[in-house]
Amino acid sequence: MNKARLIILFSLLAVLILGMAISEAAVSVQCPYTIIDDQGNTANPNVICKHITGSDGFATMADGRVLYTFGFSDVTNQLPLDQILVTAELDARIPAPLIKVKEGQEFYLTLTTLPMSMRPDLFDPHTVHWHGFPNAATVFDGEPMASIAINPNASLTYYYQVPGPGTYMYHCHVEATEHMQMGMLGTLYVTPLQDGQLLNGFTQFAYNDEDGSTGYTKDYPIQITSIDPLFHDANLNVQPLPFAAMEDTYPLINGRGYPDTINPSTTLGTSAENNFKPSQNLPSLIEAQWGDMLLLRISSLATVRFYTLISPNLPMKVVGKDAMLLRGTAGHDLYYETNSITLGGGQSADVLIDTSVIGPIAAPQRFFLYTSNLNELSNDQEDFGGMMTEIVISP
Amino acid sequence: MREEIMMIKKINIMEALVILALVFLFGVQQADAKIYGISGPTFNLRAMKGNIIADDGKSIFMWGFANASTARVRFQYPGPTLIVNQGQTVTVNLTNTLPVPVSIVFPGQNNVNAVGGVPGMLTREAPPGGSVSYTFAASEPGTYIYYSGTRPELQVEMGLLGALIVRPAAITTPAGFAGCAYNTVDSCYHREYLQLLTDIDHTIHDLVLLNKTANVDNTIAYPVYWFINGRAGLDTVAKNFAPYLPYQPYSAMARMHPGEKILVRMIGGVRDLHPHHMHGNQHYVIARDGRILKGPAGEDLSEGLFTTTVAPGQTTDALFTWTGENIGWDIYGTTSHTCNPGPDNFDPVTKEYCPNHGKPLPVGLPDQNDLTFGIFYSGSPYIGSPGALPPGEGGLNPTAGLFFMWHSHNEKELTTNNIFPGGMMTWASVEYPSVILPAE
Ligand SMILES: [Cu+2]
Repeated sequence: MNKARLIILFSLLAVLILGMAISEAAVSVQCPYTIIDDQGNTANPNVICKHITGSDGFATMADGRVLYTFGFSDVTNQLPLDQILVTAELDARIPAPLIKVKEGQEFYLTLTTLPMSMRPDLFDPHTVHWHGFPNAATVFDGEPMASIAINPNASLTYYYQVPGPGTYMYHCHVEATEHMQMGMLGTLYVTPLQDGQLLNGFTQFAYNDEDGSTGYTKDYPIQITSIDPLFHDANLNVQPLPFAAMEDTYPLINGRGYPDTINPSTTLGTSAENNFKPSQNLPSLIEAQWGDMLLLRISSLATVRFYTLISPNLPMKVVGKDAMLLRGTAGHDLYYETNSITLGGGQSADVLIDTSVIGPIAAPQRFFLYTSNLNELSNDQEDFGGMMTEIVISP
Repeated sequence: MREEIMMIKKINIMEALVILALVFLFGVQQADAKIYGISGPTFNLRAMKGNIIADDGKSIFMWGFANASTARVRFQYPGPTLIVNQGQTVTVNLTNTLPVPVSIVFPGQNNVNAVGGVPGMLTREAPPGGSVSYTFAASEPGTYIYYSGTRPELQVEMGLLGALIVRPAAITTPAGFAGCAYNTVDSCYHREYLQLLTDIDHTIHDLVLLNKTANVDNTIAYPVYWFINGRAGLDTVAKNFAPYLPYQPYSAMARMHPGEKILVRMIGGVRDLHPHHMHGNQHYVIARDGRILKGPAGEDLSEGLFTTTVAPGQTTDALFTWTGENIGWDIYGTTSHTCNPGPDNFDPVTKEYCPNHGKPLPVGLPDQNDLTFGIFYSGSPYIGSPGALPPGEGGLNPTAGLFFMWHSHNEKELTTNNIFPGGMMTWASVEYPSVILPAE
């Protein structure tokens, strides 16, 4: 071996080692201020910095079936950063962590992609697509054909100036049909600048309505999605992915089928498969005091079909759609009352439920919110379940 | 994806690369300011058979309407976009070369008078080898659909449908605009684009090809192909009349400059609803089924949405504009340029939002080794300034526009017969102001 070849060899080795060093040090969070809590608040109240991971994992359906998933997990303010690659393994959450930001904030959202624990043959990157972001920049839009996606063991920080209020969504857009069916879906909502004022007897509002007409006492994210178990099993078992045959048989609200939807636990979805990590953290039981005004932030990220949600005995006043106040340019309200909301993937509606319409009550009253596509009231083969939750009003 | 899928995918990517090479050679759509179609008021259409090539390479047997007024009558999917002016008396003469009766219905047009042919259930029909004529007054401007009224559950699936555009007569297009959707100034636009969404169950087409139409069972129809303007997947961005798609002439790509008002005419064909999502910005639905959304006193009833339900047989007109206002950094990047704000804080020439001017990107981007790059990513976040990309990455965005996917958000429909990506997806691009987008 001559000198020149040795030099080349050593150079290659150096490049290799350097390359490895780069890839191992690539988990990083960009935030211009010190993060002070797990919500991502910082020393500057106008700046919020969150950190999420994208990985695989497992969720447990209401009939007990454990399904392989992809999902996001919230690791905001978790240190040391290198350890996140270990601690967030198999920590896919269904739905994705709820993101709540304030209009006008600067929002730094770091996404770290983990390798797929169960699919080491895959090297899929992930992205965050803030669905509905107005006047988006492609670099932070997450649509991978027109943008960039972050590879395993590395981080990308998205930057947003938080736009107008309303209910948005976020999801991974990589191999969208696959990664979304696998579960990388969540609610993202923006609260208005008007919050904190006293208008119409309220201090929190869905929109900057200037008259308090979208004021509410409590708000709940209600995201409808659905799962095709055969697709998830095929993915786990390294089988061809059945895109054409995709048919969802687990219709869900916030990642759970009824009756899991009304289970108040925030730690459902543990299984031996995911090392007993709670994968389904969001209950959908809606609890109110009589007289409360409820704001339901309803959205759909179902990947196959439209669903209709009905609240048969408590009318819903639709005040916003797709993160836009229902108001004409001349300032007149276009709100309307309804008992049903039909949503396709990527659509949202903000609805108010006035719990006082039922008249004074002496004992707690239970109401249902469910899909009127009645065949979807099931957990796969198990009847009476699926896309349904309850609204309980106490005196 | 797993190994086999990877194999399929690789083949698909190979094909895609060939297609994309063609796209590159012939350029993306010429981006006329107006939708391409044939002008009336008299149209001669021929019902005929043909084939389309989906983006998975499959040839699908079709029936369709062709423009019979040309020297070389050629099948196309969808049928020709018919363009007339409000107030015109429109005549559509249909001759039928198919082995079954065919007709045309014009939803939204009142008092259609059918002459000739033979009686049918919804309207008079052209028997095999025969003809029929339809006449109506185009009384209201807007976006409409036309399709076969004879066994529509089969014939619309087979491809016998198209778009009809009625241009308003009682308005003079203001200077600087390309046209108006309705007789109101707030419906005027700089560019207009068609988004005609259809789906296909190819097994039905195979049966028809084999003369086994009697065996078609619509109760089990199961589409696995999805199209915008008759094209699927990446084919949608190829220009109008791309030579490699001889029977699918209509591009679905929407190119624009910052600040321009874009009219998007959405039409649903065939059987399913599709939630059509436009990346880039919210859009405003200003009309449905050719009727502007205004109250009796002219009050604005338009709806701001990020995803519009496109229902079969229904049309929706929406206005889309991209300004970059919310970005919070300089969309033209660090190259030297000025921003001279007008009263709305936008530079009237560059359309830049001046409060963002000169602000650097607030975050650093990861090392290129840690990124996967899209074919429409220019290598930089900035409009008009391509950045360095690793060899073989990007490359289909030489003008460094911002590309935004417009697609069905029932994501299953982003596939073509089991292959992702494909189906009901296209892109819009926001181009540097000096990039010339040809006007008609
Ligand atoms: Cu993903």
